Amino acid sequence: MKGQKEMKLEKKTQTYNEIWDDLVAFRSLMLALALCISFMAGGYFLAPNQAPYSLFMGLGGALTGFVISSFLIKPKRIVIEEK
Amino acid sequence: MTPVLILQMILAAFAATAIYTVVGAIPGADETATLAPVTLVLILAGLHPAVVLAFFMAAIVACKLIDAVPVSVAGIPAGVMSTPLVPHALILKAHGKTDESIRKIASGALVGTLVSIPVSLLLASFIIPYADAIKSYGGTLFFVGAIFLALMSKNKVVALISILPLAILIQGLRQFYWSVGAVPEGTNVFVSIFLAITIGPAILSLLELLNPKIRADKQVLKKNEIRLEALDHLSRVPNPFKILTKKELGLSAIASAVGSFLFILSPVGITVFLGELVASKEKDPVEKAKLALTSMEALAQGTYISGTIIPLLAIGIPLTPMAMGPANPLFNAPPVLTLENNLHHMLSFDTFVVATLIGAVIASVITFYLAVRFSRQISKLVFKYIPHEALIALFMALVLLLAHMDGGFVNVIGVLIIGLISGLFHRLGVSYGVMFMALYAAPWIMETFF
Repeated sequence: MKGQKEMKLEKKTQTYNEIWDDLVAFRSLMLALALCISFMAGGYFLAPNQAPYSLFMGLGGALTGFVISSFLIKPKRIVIEEK
Repeated sequence: MTPVLILQMILAAFAATAIYTVVGAIPGADETATLAPVTLVLILAGLHPAVVLAFFMAAIVACKLIDAVPVSVAGIPAGVMSTPLVPHALILKAHGKTDESIRKIASGALVGTLVSIPVSLLLASFIIPYADAIKSYGGTLFFVGAIFLALMSKNKVVALISILPLAILIQGLRQFYWSVGAVPEGTNVFVSIFLAITIGPAILSLLELLNPKIRADKQVLKKNEIRLEALDHLSRVPNPFKILTKKELGLSAIASAVGSFLFILSPVGITVFLGELVASKEKDPVEKAKLALTSMEALAQGTYISGTIIPLLAIGIPLTPMAMGPANPLFNAPPVLTLENNLHHMLSFDTFVVATLIGAVIASVITFYLAVRFSRQISKLVFKYIPHEALIALFMALVLLLAHMDGGFVNVIGVLIIGLISGLFHRLGVSYGVMFMALYAAPWIMETFF
């Protein structure tokens, strides 16, 4: 399940790019951005107009996008624990 | 002070620690937004003011300390105060030292708290008369700070050149927002600009990647190897004095003490300035990053505590950014507390000391233990399962959110502009410290030079 959608995205590009000291696959990055920003905007604009609601719902949206992206995208890291 | 009251304070401190250790780790959950309302509710609910104070002190300590985790593991600041730590934490992350980053930050926090409490309590009455004088020199101090940090960086000329353009850009945009009506006249947009500078290099890289040719030119075929260093046996009770080197210990203690003196000025500004100043004493990039993290965190805790305690103890009027922000309900919570009758008037010196100590010590110990004990596990989990794409996307979404909240859609574009320029300067070798100082000094620079 995890990574399958991503494998379709990355079929053509199994290359990575560096951004902010770590590696990403460009199309996965676009997917993650689309998810986080749209959920964030959804929460933010749909929130009632009162003080902290728009912040929290926008935040909640961004976090939702974050969680979904974490399931759909595989990290481009190999973790090696030195003994 | 009865034993019952002391017990209530202890319980309040535990509750605050439990809540804010979790809440504090969430990126975008700003202290002012999450702590002030809760404090207000507690006061209005009739809790004894000393209990609320203990709750508050525990909350800010826990909230700040736990930031060590998202900052180290993902490079995402869970609060504005943690933003200056991000670049240094990323250096450690690139060397596979993420869990060490967590431990260093957590230990710095402990040192900062330990130093700042007595300093604040002792100095409260002496410092207040000088508060106005210090405040009036704020702009000058930050401008000098910018020049100083520029002269200490590797690319001195570029760094010096960057100060005025950045200041003009920021002030220009701020005044533009006023004339367009996006922001009430006189209000300076701040948080989103600060974040824009931090995220600058990432925005620049992102826009570059949209160009397929550049993407292809810069591509990498191998996955990133993250080496987690072999852990020397972590004793059951993590000891901050073992985690920190003598240099780190000493310098962060001094930093926290000095930061407490400068309580009247912006906590973040002081954190950046003194933190970078202290870190410049170290040449090796990895050691420098560790020193920066430790002292910045110690400073941050120091300014939190002094910024709350000194006005409360000495005068009862919210003078500091901390007092005007998250701690405001302690000064003003009608109908229970007003500027004529608040914690300053209601609590004796002894009660202040006890409440502060209970809150700060309980939170420090618990959150420190959690962060350090589980630093390796947390790092591993994030490295293995959380993709960098998701982290970047989350951070970008947050910046956009805060940008819109600060000044509407026009500010979103403004943030993009500032991000690009800062990203460019950063790539040319200008450090974040110089750019942050330029931001702080911007209004003063405009007044003085133009």
